[in-house]
Amino acid sequence: MTSTQSPIIASDLVRIFGSGEDEVRAVDGVNLEVTAGEVFGFLGPNGAGKSTTVRILTTLLKPSAGSASVAGYDIEVEADAVRRSIGVALQDAAIDPLMTGTELLRLQAVLYGIPRNAQHERAGELLERVGLSAAGDRRVGTYSGGMRRRLDLALALIHEPSVLFLDEPTTGLDPMSRMSLWEEIRRLNNDGTTVLLTTQYLEEADQLADRVAIIDNGKIVREGQPEALKTDVGAPTLLISVADDHVEPAREVLAQFGEARPTAEGTLGVGLTQGAGDVSNVVRALDAQGIVVEHLELRAPSLDDVFAEATGHRLEGAS
Amino acid sequence: MSASLGIATRSLRNVRRLPSAFIPALLMPVFQVVAFSGTYAGVTQIPGFPTDRSVNWYLPMAVTMGASFAGLGTGFSMIRDLQTGFYDRLRMAPTSRRQLLLGPYIAAWVRACIAVVLVTIFGFALGARPVGNGLGTFSLFIAGIGMATIGTGWGLGLAYRFRDMRAAAIMQLTLFLGLFLTDAQTPIPLMDGWLEYVARWNPLTQVLDVARIGFIDGIRGRDLLIGMLIMIAISAGAWLFAFTGLARLDD
Repeated sequence: MTSTQSPIIASDLVRIFGSGEDEVRAVDGVNLEVTAGEVFGFLGPNGAGKSTTVRILTTLLKPSAGSASVAGYDIEVEADAVRRSIGVALQDAAIDPLMTGTELLRLQAVLYGIPRNAQHERAGELLERVGLSAAGDRRVGTYSGGMRRRLDLALALIHEPSVLFLDEPTTGLDPMSRMSLWEEIRRLNNDGTTVLLTTQYLEEADQLADRVAIIDNGKIVREGQPEALKTDVGAPTLLISVADDHVEPAREVLAQFGEARPTAEGTLGVGLTQGAGDVSNVVRALDAQGIVVEHLELRAPSLDDVFAEATGHRLEGAS
Repeated sequence: MSASLGIATRSLRNVRRLPSAFIPALLMPVFQVVAFSGTYAGVTQIPGFPTDRSVNWYLPMAVTMGASFAGLGTGFSMIRDLQTGFYDRLRMAPTSRRQLLLGPYIAAWVRACIAVVLVTIFGFALGARPVGNGLGTFSLFIAGIGMATIGTGWGLGLAYRFRDMRAAAIMQLTLFLGLFLTDAQTPIPLMDGWLEYVARWNPLTQVLDVARIGFIDGIRGRDLLIGMLIMIAISAGAWLFAFTGLARLDD
């Protein structure tokens, strides 16, 4: 990889599954460029095309069209060189429950050609790094979800890769385990590792990513720095809940203060054109119509708003 | 090579940790050699039956069956690895596809050795005796390893193509049919009709000759050579079937 070349570049990447009426375009013309040393967040709901894109970039799946390079190597022509340069932790922490953590790390070391005399030491270092030294000789089947994820991360780091792919690394983890993994990802990034992280958690993308790409139905619909994307959305969102028979009148009132925003069922949302100062005016207008507000919440623009504005619907499982 | 050995070691370690996945494949041929040679002891009285010891006829069948199932066992394990996603980890490693494939083969050969030795010990305990100078026992072992090689390639190829338990059903059915539609149980001269025709042209009949040469009079060196060549050819075909199946995982 030359010093000027971005470690991950994808051009018009397409992946089609099935054919005829069953054809699904899981990835539909994805273009992205991840620069060296950044954490790039790939944000989208289940089935948006995140994991398929990662599987293509990590050489597990061939693209139907388009091209990509990772660490300066073409993913199709130089797949082995790509594999040597990347670390990958896939969505389901695919680790053999019958093996111990140490055994898995040593197998991984063998697969990556680490000399036999260095394997044990490297395995020990990584177990310590992810806080699993005490559990190294236990079978992985006895590990908690968080421990499996940390082991998965350690496995991805066995050969000190320059580019790391993390596919939904914290899905299903409790908040403590999630925070601990975030810390580790930050540490890795500070050490110079480029990270492509897929997630369906808005907070995760917000916390970790230098830039995010929002993907929906196989297409990237927004891309940029989280703060810039949120600023682009502009107005804060006012969310209100009212009794069922007041929904339509309330909708009409809210329309006077800005554009309707997609919300969860049972809630109405409006992007306040005049900003937070308009909240009291909205309340007075609703009151004047005899509408009783059951719940009211003012939200600063979030990545969910960016997602909603770009796609017309909220992110599934948004946290 | 070290990657293949690493993969094989993992596979064999898991056999120890999950013996229920291997023991049935081991017990089945033992049961066959015990049951067949006992139940059909009188078969030797049929004019034209080539040996006076029924166990001499059935031991090679049980050995080849056990060895092939040792090979198919790697196919079953592969289905599990594909379904859990563990195999993705191996595919993402900068290891040649040949090495990825060789790992399960090595594991299968070790498992087959265990099966061949165990079944042979039972056979000898039940009265099997080699004819000639005893070198035929080595030929039995070679046939076992050959059948394990064929079973491994066939099992892996199906696992890579179907990626789920459908492959397991096809593996077992086809191998059972392939072996039973030979002279595994009855010598060809004693067969009649379509079964005789199929058994005569089934290439696995020649592979069984390789297994039987040390236990049955009348199998000649030429039969051994043909059997060995057929075994090598089927093994190569099965390897190719597995190799192209592995490549298909990228699609």
